[in-house]
Amino acid sequence: MSGLPCPSPIPEAELTAYWLGELEDSDAADVEQHVFGCSHCSSQLQLLVRLGVGIRQVASEGTVHAVLTPAFVRQMQNNGLQVREYRLRPGTSVACTIAPDDDLVVSHLHAEFAGVERLDLIFEDPDSGAQLRMKDLAFDRAADEIVLASNTRYLRELGTATRRVRLLAVQEGGERELGTYTFNHSRYRSGSGA
Amino acid sequence: MYQVASGPDDGELARRIVTAGARRDADAEAELCRRFAPRIRLYGLRHLRNDAAAADLVQDVLLMTLEKLRTGVVREFDKLASFILGTCRQTVIDGRRSGGRRERILETFAPTLDSATEDSDTALDSGRLESCLENLPERERSVLVMTFYDDRPADEVGAALGLSPGNVRVIRHRGIERLRRCVEEQTS
Repeated sequence: MSGLPCPSPIPEAELTAYWLGELEDSDAADVEQHVFGCSHCSSQLQLLVRLGVGIRQVASEGTVHAVLTPAFVRQMQNNGLQVREYRLRPGTSVACTIAPDDDLVVSHLHAEFAGVERLDLIFEDPDSGAQLRMKDLAFDRAADEIVLASNTRYLRELGTATRRVRLLAVQEGGERELGTYTFNHSRYRSGSGA
Repeated sequence: MYQVASGPDDGELARRIVTAGARRDADAEAELCRRFAPRIRLYGLRHLRNDAAAADLVQDVLLMTLEKLRTGVVREFDKLASFILGTCRQTVIDGRRSGGRRERILETFAPTLDSATEDSDTALDSGRLESCLENLPERERSVLVMTFYDDRPADEVGAALGLSPGNVRVIRHRGIERLRRCVEEQTS
C-alpha cells in the first residue's frame, strides 16, 4: 500500500495541511511536485483522503456521536441533511425520537461555560445506573451551548427509554455540575411530533 | 525543498512507449496509467473538489500523456512525473475539452484507461471506521468530523470550537494518527 520507500517522506501533518489548503502556494507546489513523483507519499496522501471521505460519510449518516457546533449543524442542513434538533436548558426534559428520514439527531445543551477549564459529559441510564463519561470535550467558552450529535444507529435500536446527560466543569480540586438534561425517548410514530 | 523520489521505472516506461510508437507497448501504457491515475485523481480532487471532475481530469491527462509519448513530443523521459503534473495544472487552468479530437484519442486508449482507473480509490470499511472513530478521545473526534466533513482548514475549525489554529493542528494530527493505526490494525 505504501509503495516504494521514500528517502524524505512528507510528514502526515504537512500532507494534511496541503490537502486542506493551509500551505502557502509555493509550499503547496513543492508538496505536489514531490507527491507526483513519489509512490510512497502519494499512497500516504491517498490513505489520508480515504480517511477523510470515510469520516464525511460517517458524519453524514450520523453513525457516530460527537460534540459539534450550531454553525456546523446549519452547514449540514444546508447540504441537504435532515437534522432533528432538541434544545434543553439545565434541569429540563424532552420527549424525543428519531424518524426514518432523519440523518442526524442533535441536542443543544444550554449552560454557562464562562471560566470552565475542562468540560466532561456523563451519559447515563437512570434505571440501570450505567454511565458513559465523555472527557475533555471541545467547546467554546464564549458560547452558551454545546451541540451533542447522537449515534443514529444507537437511537434507532433504542426502544422506550430514559437517558440522562450531565455536564460537568472539571477543575483542580473537583468538579461542578453545569446542568442535567433528561431525554424521554420513544420509537417514532408518524405525527407524534416528538 | 523535498527530494523527489521518482519511481526508478518512470523513465523506462516512457522510453518503451515512445520506442513502440504506433505499434504500442500495451503493458507499458497500462503500467503508466495504473501508476499515475491515483495521483492525477488526487490532484483533481484537491483542486476541483468534485469526484466527477477529478475522474474527467484523470482521463484527459492520461490521454494527452499517452498521445504525446507516442508521437515523440516528450523528450525528457526521466521527468515524466513533472510532465504529467504540468499537464494536470494546464488542464485545470484551461478547463478545456477538445471535442472530436478527445473522442478519437479515447477510442484508441479506452481499454488501457479502463483497467488503470479500476480500484484506484477503494473505500475504507465504514463499520471499521465508525468503531475507530468512536474510540477516539472526544476532542479528536470533534475536530476530525468538523475538519473532514467539508475539508475545513484549522483556523475555521478553531474559530468554531474556541481553539487556536495551532491547537487544532495538534489535535487533528493526533486524531489522524490514532485513526490510521486503528484502521490498519483492524485490517491486518
